[in-house]
Amino acid sequence: MQCRTDLGLCVAFPPSPVTRSGTQKAAFVGSSWPAKMAAPAGKVARGWSVLALTLRTAVPRLPGLTQVRWSRYSPEYRDPQTDKEYYRKPLAELTEEEKCEQELRKTQLIKAAPAAKTSSVFEDPVISKFINMMMKGGNKVLARSLMTQTLEAVKRKQFEKYHAASAEEQATIERNPYTIFHQALKNCEPVIGLVPILRGGHFYQVPVPLPARRRRFLAMKWMLTECREKKHRRTLMPEKLSHELLEAFHNQGPVIKKKHDMHKMAEANRALAHYRWW
Amino acid sequence: RRGVSFRLQALRVCSGRHPCAVCCPATMLNRVTRLVPRARQLDPGRFLHGGPQGPQGLAVHLDDRVPDETPRAGSRPSEDDPAGAGEQREDRHYRIPLQDLPTVFAHGLPQYQHYVCQVKTFHEACLLVRRPALELLRHLDGTNFAHPAVRYVLYGEKGTGKTLSLCHVIHFCAKRDWLVVHVPDAHLWVKSCRGLLRSAYNRQRFDQPVEASSWLKSFKTANERFLSQIKIQETYMWNKRESTEKGRPLGEVVEQGLTRVKNATDAVGIVLKELKSQSCSGAFRLLVAVDGVNALWGKTTLKREDKSLMAPEELALVHSLRKMVRNDWHGGAVVLALSQTGSLFTPRMAYLPQELLGKEGFDALDPFVPVLVSNYSPEEFERCIQYYLENSWLQHEKAHTEEGKKELLFLSDANPGQLERLCAYL
Repeated sequence: MQCRTDLGLCVAFPPSPVTRSGTQKAAFVGSSWPAKMAAPAGKVARGWSVLALTLRTAVPRLPGLTQVRWSRYSPEYRDPQTDKEYYRKPLAELTEEEKCEQELRKTQLIKAAPAAKTSSVFEDPVISKFINMMMKGGNKVLARSLMTQTLEAVKRKQFEKYHAASAEEQATIERNPYTIFHQALKNCEPVIGLVPILRGGHFYQVPVPLPARRRRFLAMKWMLTECREKKHRRTLMPEKLSHELLEAFHNQGPVIKKKHDMHKMAEANRALAHYRWW
Repeated sequence: RRGVSFRLQALRVCSGRHPCAVCCPATMLNRVTRLVPRARQLDPGRFLHGGPQGPQGLAVHLDDRVPDETPRAGSRPSEDDPAGAGEQREDRHYRIPLQDLPTVFAHGLPQYQHYVCQVKTFHEACLLVRRPALELLRHLDGTNFAHPAVRYVLYGEKGTGKTLSLCHVIHFCAKRDWLVVHVPDAHLWVKSCRGLLRSAYNRQRFDQPVEASSWLKSFKTANERFLSQIKIQETYMWNKRESTEKGRPLGEVVEQGLTRVKNATDAVGIVLKELKSQSCSGAFRLLVAVDGVNALWGKTTLKREDKSLMAPEELALVHSLRKMVRNDWHGGAVVLALSQTGSLFTPRMAYLPQELLGKEGFDALDPFVPVLVSNYSPEEFERCIQYYLENSWLQHEKAHTEEGKKELLFLSDANPGQLERLCAYL
């Protein structure tokens, strides 16, 4: 049975009805990530009338499929545009499409921008996501300061290396902490992943190609787990994280090793690949 | 040379029932013949900091006295030697040779770890030459050593550069062969001290052996050459067996303080007393530089044996330092910097001398020359950004663009401390 993940639907065994309060129901027993890798905005809806208006119009009623993720916004809401360059373009330079879009924006409804999204030129979505993952208990201030201290530590270490190196080597040393961060996470992303699939009462680890956002998530998750759990308790997070990022940038270190382990296990289980149906 | 004398008007904050000027801008000093404070009248028209005319008023006043330097376009930091013929220009980065650092800044900069990190990363110690420091240096150049020591107080909001201006002045004076008595952070003497002892010299006071001995060590490194030249003028008995005779070099007192840690505080007191009395002779020029001077008249968090809080005057080190910053000696100058950052029981937004020093401190330091250190001007900000770009410190690609610079200006509000913190991770 196909799973329409883009609409936030999933296969239900048995189909679980949505309650009046609109709370989310996990449709699978031991639900795995394919069921969860769905709708972009998953929020709990409050208000049966909103559901009735939005759900019935947007989603076609398919047998055996239930909506599991809700959004406060209906589909006609557009994402906010925070890029200053977009608004600064003079009228003459706009194409027909863009002119049409700008006209539409005047009347259409727009979602509220999240608190962490700014129109700053220095903003980076990958860094914001990483900060959110590092955050504990909603302490964004602390998470952000740890991130900035990490970037500073990476930069200082690279500057030390630069000053100590000879003229030829200096050209090869990368000092931009942002390039190092992006490259390190890219190096940590696995290409293929394992998914537990239930067949005949047993769960088998089946190798499966991962979508881009799952790979980015795994890279960040492994990086943070490595820093939090495997290091000495008295070392500070910026120190640990800067060290791990630099190692991953050079394709070394425990996070890269974890990625390779994942690849090896997928290679070992390749006989089970036919269990995948998507 | 201007031969006109000035009187310092020291005004006080009134009872506080209405907002008023905290301290009238003291006119710039060239020769102080009579330090007679005028009658303490409040001039409601003159606001130093209350309104937008305040700092500009002081700046305009400065311009009247000293010809204004046109800021030059930023260029590679020049190794200006203050003692040489090359004059320091405003808006230039002035580099301190690295070999001077251990001697001039023997105490280190405990209050300003970021600058220490920056020196380590760039392998060079650069300071931006700014107007407050430049004015101070010009006045120090023109001091009349026959007159009582003039006290200059650097004050300003957090992160505006008071400590680094003080460092600039210290390096300038050290290059000119002055004897520099530098207390890097007076707040460290009034909080978190272990090993307090009852002073042997005066039972009412307390000794701080650890702080005193570390200060003596750095003092020795910084002023090695003077310690053998200066001879003490009295005999000091340390205990029944040990004493230092009259006519011995000052280095022996310092050695005694370092070897016998119990006598370290008394050694510090003796050193300060001797320097003060002998600076009048003209053998050397004395510069007393204290950072965080509001600690001397604030509160402490140190407790006596009966767990009651101590007053600062009960500490022997604080007592000797208070005597040092009085203006009853001549042959040098006193440059002080206020600091709220390490202070105890002061509100976070307080930066004015009256607020930080309190009535007692203000009375003790009165009359003094206040020097306001403010945020970067547009030229200084531009120069600072240029310096970071030249050193490739700003690595983010957007930081090189106009948009990025405007955003940095907005985020930091041209505050030097904030700008440094922002550029650290960009």
